[in-house]
Amino acid sequence: MDEVTLYHWEPNANSGKPMLALMEKGVPFSSHYIDMLQFDQHKPEYLAINPQGTIPAMVHNANGQRRVLTESTAIMEYVNDCFAGPDLMPADAQDSWRVRWWMKFMDQWLGPSFSMIGWSVFVGPMVRQRDPAELDAAIERIPLPERRVAWRKAISGNFSDSEMAESRRRVSLGIAKLEEELGKRPYVGSDQYTLADINIFNSTYSLPLSQPDLAGKDKTPNIMRWLKRVYTRDAVKKTWAMGKTDLAHRYGLIMAEIEG
Amino acid sequence: MSAILYHGEPNGASLTVLAALAEAGLDIACRHIDLLAGERHTLTGITDPVALDLCIEGEGPVLVAGGEAMTESVFLAQYFDEAAGGAGLQPADAYARWEMMMWCRQMTERLSPAAALLGNLAGSQEQVAAIPARDFVHVAAAIVSDDLRERWLALRDGAIDSAQVADSESKIAAAVLRCEKQLGDGREWLMGTFSIADLVTYSWLAGMQPLQPAAFADAPLAQAWLARVAARPSVQAALAKATVQDPLRAWAPGPEINRWG
Repeated sequence: MDEVTLYHWEPNANSGKPMLALMEKGVPFSSHYIDMLQFDQHKPEYLAINPQGTIPAMVHNANGQRRVLTESTAIMEYVNDCFAGPDLMPADAQDSWRVRWWMKFMDQWLGPSFSMIGWSVFVGPMVRQRDPAELDAAIERIPLPERRVAWRKAISGNFSDSEMAESRRRVSLGIAKLEEELGKRPYVGSDQYTLADINIFNSTYSLPLSQPDLAGKDKTPNIMRWLKRVYTRDAVKKTWAMGKTDLAHRYGLIMAEIEG
Repeated sequence: MSAILYHGEPNGASLTVLAALAEAGLDIACRHIDLLAGERHTLTGITDPVALDLCIEGEGPVLVAGGEAMTESVFLAQYFDEAAGGAGLQPADAYARWEMMMWCRQMTERLSPAAALLGNLAGSQEQVAAIPARDFVHVAAAIVSDDLRERWLALRDGAIDSAQVADSESKIAAAVLRCEKQLGDGREWLMGTFSIADLVTYSWLAGMQPLQPAAFADAPLAQAWLARVAARPSVQAALAKATVQDPLRAWAPGPEINRWG
């Protein structure tokens, strides 16, 4: 009997990817909410699951074997390969290449810029209100040195002007390229809903609210049409209902705007 | 399928893709281009250039199929494997495939930027710096990606500091150590059976042997594995496409080093 446990934060960015992939495939899973803003991901209980202290992570028990999987996009690919349900990769090899290309573009080029901006306006200010000594201790517990640097910058609001400018350049260019892509075909990289849509939706579902100067009905009609198509999927509604913070609340606001 | 694979000297990303093509046995035309002359940015017959314009890998090979520019060596290797109906370059089991993709991602994110930086400093900086200013203007202007153009400029101007070099050297050593550990149970190939992971890792590591010998000194398993990969007919066929004496010393600006986190 298969048993899947997912350790995740909000249905947003990396955590949302395997949540939505499992939901689309119809795979039942037990959900362990890891409160990133309380640094749950660096506590001993979680480090026992994933010593790197990154979220999400998935534990899959099957046929007496216990498999621990990390890295959100790779987990999605595993979920799609491993379980029955609708195929979330295209059948055509060139379409599959394109799906992978877009996921890497998001994970390694555009996503870090989205998250730098997100951390500077959302995560940083929320966490900053805590006791500095407690925060310092929390940062010291982070296993990966580069994540320690990133958290320090996010908490102290110390992203440099040039880093922020570069992130804004990438977000602006990335949105323009996505708009172009969605003018060529109904979904990202192919004519069907795939892992690339799940991946990119998780970082762009709130664009009309978070980047109103770059995205919206007039500026990016193709993205808006695609967002509506994805928003109305049952699996998306169910997944976003699992959110506990304001991030998920934004889902409702955008839904209203798209349908209005 | 009328596709053309444009590639540089068989090293780094071009070596991975040429060897993968040989493994898959597909009939696709290969055209050598001079990456350091900027020829990758003046290809003709491309109607959809997005994956070329925004390629993360740097000066990697470009497969043009149906007017679309296809890039990123790992994904091109997967494409060849799948277009051939399964050439055995990816494990059939879902978990083994996850392990392979995680390995490849580690190598492309950590090893490849480090190897490209060290390789370029040793092998191509002089050549790039010698391009006359009036010609370099055209090379730079043809590069669509701002971040790739920055890496060309940094290479030409020698704007690479000692901290970047030290960081890259430690990443090479870490990659070798990782291979040595992975091969510790006596396995023949990194994932057990031969896969894209072997091609990708070999392609970025083989050229580091002469440059960073100390990193390989205490890694007999990794050395023996490198020799096994080098002996594969597909890798030999790829290396035979070289137009220079020692293709493993031929580099061009590669991927950027991870910006944050």
